[in-house]
Amino acid sequence: MSNIKTLLSVAAAVTAVSVATPVFAGPVMDEIIANDSLVCLVSPTAPGFSVPDSTGIFQGFNADFCRMAAAAILGDAAKADIRGVGFSDSMKTIVAGEAHMGARSITKTGTRDADEGMAFVATNFFDGQGFMVSRSLGVTSATELNGASVCAEDGSTTLLNIADWFGAKNMNYRVENIADKTARLEAFFSGKCDVYASDVTALSADRQLAPTPSDFMILPEVISNEPLTLVARPDQAFEAALFWSFQVMLNADSYDITSSNIDGIVADIDNQPPAVQRMFGADGATTDMAAKLGLPTDWAYQVIKQVGSYGEVFDRHLGEATPFGLNRATTPNAHAADGGLMYPYPIR
Amino acid sequence: MIPASLPPAVSRDLFRKWAGTPLTAFVSLVSAIIAGVVIWWVLDWIFLSAVSPLLPMDHCVDASGACWRFYVEKSRFMMFGTYPYAEHWRPALVSVLLLVLSVCVGLRITGRLRFLSPRVLAILWVGIVPVVFWIMGGGAGLVEVDMSRWNGMPVLLILSVIAIALAFPLGVALAVLRHQTRWPVLRRAAIVYIEGMRGFPMVTVLFVGVFVLPLTLPPGTRISPVMATLVALVFFHAAYFAEDVRGGLQSLSASQTEAAESLGFSSVQTLRLVVLPQALSRSLPALVNSVIGAYKDTSLVVVLGIHDLTSTARMAFSEPGWGQYALEAYALVGVWFLLSCAFLSWVGRELHRKQSTKSH
Repeated sequence: MSNIKTLLSVAAAVTAVSVATPVFAGPVMDEIIANDSLVCLVSPTAPGFSVPDSTGIFQGFNADFCRMAAAAILGDAAKADIRGVGFSDSMKTIVAGEAHMGARSITKTGTRDADEGMAFVATNFFDGQGFMVSRSLGVTSATELNGASVCAEDGSTTLLNIADWFGAKNMNYRVENIADKTARLEAFFSGKCDVYASDVTALSADRQLAPTPSDFMILPEVISNEPLTLVARPDQAFEAALFWSFQVMLNADSYDITSSNIDGIVADIDNQPPAVQRMFGADGATTDMAAKLGLPTDWAYQVIKQVGSYGEVFDRHLGEATPFGLNRATTPNAHAADGGLMYPYPIR
Repeated sequence: MIPASLPPAVSRDLFRKWAGTPLTAFVSLVSAIIAGVVIWWVLDWIFLSAVSPLLPMDHCVDASGACWRFYVEKSRFMMFGTYPYAEHWRPALVSVLLLVLSVCVGLRITGRLRFLSPRVLAILWVGIVPVVFWIMGGGAGLVEVDMSRWNGMPVLLILSVIAIALAFPLGVALAVLRHQTRWPVLRRAAIVYIEGMRGFPMVTVLFVGVFVLPLTLPPGTRISPVMATLVALVFFHAAYFAEDVRGGLQSLSASQTEAAESLGFSSVQTLRLVVLPQALSRSLPALVNSVIGAYKDTSLVVVLGIHDLTSTARMAFSEPGWGQYALEAYALVGVWFLLSCAFLSWVGRELHRKQSTKSH
């Protein structure tokens, strides 16, 4: 008797679950909605990208893309459960199904994308390897670095990229191998080596650690491609939600829509360009997408209201008003209209 | 056996001791000057040039001394890291529980707190481990908190105190297996294990724990870095504890065992009632030394991406705009380790003192 009872209760539970969740959403999307929480992995200490504030909540450029996903799917950016996890462990965690997504500057590469446990969704930051030098060196271009001594991380792709680049230009260089990052930076700041090589954004963060950051400059040459990409656990609906939330942030940039003026735009939606009406209007394309993907109807509005446009997020954490002082227009992350790689896809 | 130390010099011998010859006078003078400069510098940094905690952060920018406001803003973060802010009472409670129990053990083995029998302490230790994991991790009425949010002080204590507590019985068992002669195979196995483990640097064992141990698990399962490190540390420390206990076992005369056996004690009774109590008491000073080493080595887990106190201190000044307060952050960590290691070495000195008085 008890067996039949168990069977019946299991059957009832299964029916309840399948009735409660929309049939069109994928398993990851269902899990996020059922838990009312989105687990998102970031780097535990990457100044500007993800660093916990005094109350232990992660702040930064990458952390805001976790909030973007939570705002779009759950309607509340605060429902992002942002966890700081080391690099290799983060990919394992996603593959093991214990996190829904990662926004932690993972370079999209062919072999990583071939892994079936991870889906690379949208490149939120285009980075590349560059060089930092002391201003007193009087160098303005990396092509003048013949014979320089370079401080770089032992055993990293950094050294391979340097070898490729200097070799192609027939230039000589000498490597100072210092494994520990703090010691390596110390050696560079004290003049033990002429050049410090790393990813450009890492360079601008590391420059802040110098006794006088303005004594050092980052050369314009970028010698490798590092498309840092949002990673999701494979689920077609979830990937689409992430990708198009990101596109909403890029499209908002095209029309100078930010979290501070979005309410005015929505209030005056009839006088907006058609593309803006399709994004934020009550019967726009985003409403149609919401029904198909299982998102709240106003998801596009929530993304902009709670997180902001791409340019807004960039400037908030990395822009010229921050210690990193990046000018977005001079990076590959500029809007496509300004010659950058951030190309907004049509939302219709 | 370490000989008993001489009685401390009485005060009228002090002058002769510190400045009896020109050389000692010179060395004393130089030491006094260095100590004076260091103490002055520390006092200046802590008090004279420091910025009061009541002033806002802006006042700290040009200050040469400590910025006390930093501690007001960041000490809670350094203690508990990214653990959910509203739930901070849980890591705080866990830290207090582990600290109180550790201090009780320390006081008990130096002969204080006689009312706590070793049996009671052992039961408390066995009981506290699941309680700590429940309070930290949640479930059964508490909000669940992922292990990646276990940071700061509780992680330091879990990886030091709990690892040591779990490694101790394993170490005793290994020492006994190595000491006995009835099962030669087990004896060999214990020797291979102990000598092998002591041959590896701790960092190697930690890396194996975090990177190789998960590969041995069935696919799809994941062991969190904190758990993997805890397992690795338990196996590592056990080998050292085993050697300390073996020293105690070997120092016992064989007549102890023979006497017990002739009185009709079984081999388990002999071990439990006659051999181990004496051996453990003799190996206590060596064990305390190993515990101090194990405790200090715990900070090495930073290389595995586990955020203990040292690592949360670093995170505290990684936030943009806080970069210049590294000294403040590390000073707090330094003071903590100074106090906790001072307690451990006090326990060690007390044990030495008791042993040397006992042997007279």
